[in-house]
Amino acid sequence: MRRIPPGRLTGAAEKIIPPPLNPTVSWSSNQLTTAASNPVPCLEDQDILAKFADPASRNLAFNQLVRKYQQKVYWHVRKMVIDHADADDLTQDTFVKVWNHLGNFRQDASLYTWIYRIATNECLNFLSSKRRKFFLPLNDVGAELAAKVEADPGLAGDDVEKRLQKAILRLPDKQRLVFNMRYYDETPYEQMAEITGTSVGALKASYHHAVKKVEQYINDETQPD
Amino acid sequence: MKTPFRLDEHPRRPQPLAAPPAGYFDRLPMQIMTRVQPAPARETVATWSWLAALSQPVRTVLASGLVLGSFATAFLLTPSASAPTTALARVPQAELVQYLLASDTRVSLTDLAELPATDQAMTSYLQASPTELQDALDAQPTEETYL
Repeated sequence: MRRIPPGRLTGAAEKIIPPPLNPTVSWSSNQLTTAASNPVPCLEDQDILAKFADPASRNLAFNQLVRKYQQKVYWHVRKMVIDHADADDLTQDTFVKVWNHLGNFRQDASLYTWIYRIATNECLNFLSSKRRKFFLPLNDVGAELAAKVEADPGLAGDDVEKRLQKAILRLPDKQRLVFNMRYYDETPYEQMAEITGTSVGALKASYHHAVKKVEQYINDETQPD
Repeated sequence: MKTPFRLDEHPRRPQPLAAPPAGYFDRLPMQIMTRVQPAPARETVATWSWLAALSQPVRTVLASGLVLGSFATAFLLTPSASAPTTALARVPQAELVQYLLASDTRVSLTDLAELPATDQAMTSYLQASPTELQDALDAQPTEETYL
């Protein structure tokens, strides 16, 4: 199993671990259920947090938390980094950070939003560090991800879906994140605003432009010469 | 003419990419729990594991310090050359006097006769007591003696 070097995570703690969220907005984790919802019966967030606060039941509570959110976090990360091994590393790193900082989590905010935000920062840091490490411009990392999409067995035989995935990869990282959350997960804009720290209006505009860009790219690609 | 692609008309696949390996989500919680748990066994068995935790520059500095320390220790432990006075002390008194009197350019009998009364430092340098000097003078032929 590959591990991300610890050095990669240093120097941006406040960026990686999000500050306490806006207590006026609270979303139930039930609203966030996706098609990949976990079949294991799960505790409510409040129960998990209460058990986590007790050292005797901390491990059990955290295990429940991981089982409850692992699939959502994994797919959120996977759609950003495409590769399963990278997604595995980043999902694990996300939950390790959750373990380290859950004791300081303010319970007036949504636990899932907080976790989602950590995962989002992990993805963005991973992609930007990849560019810094190999001195690659934006398009080269996009080309690398596009090659992984091309080789993905889940897209074999579905040319339209493959073109759609490649078109999404041409978006800038943050806009791709917005597109994924809205298009695939149908995340409410208010919650996206909490996760990304951006206004609802800006997110709506970003998604609208992302859709136009994706459609434009696919239509240009399929246009007859 | 081909119909332009419209995203809202495209059937949405929530997870478009290939699923992870079978059983992945069953194993993942255990892998994460392993990472977040303290490992006391690892700390006791792997005595040098702390080296791996250090960053590359720190390890380089540590290695350089170790090499320099070895050189300094080796330098300090190397036996130094014997001091001249120690080497001179090993020479028998008789040989010393014979050497000094072998040529007038080194020391004359007169110098030796005057030495005990004038220069204590010189007698200490010669490693001979006034009595020994006197004996050496007495042993010389009488025609060379001014006393």
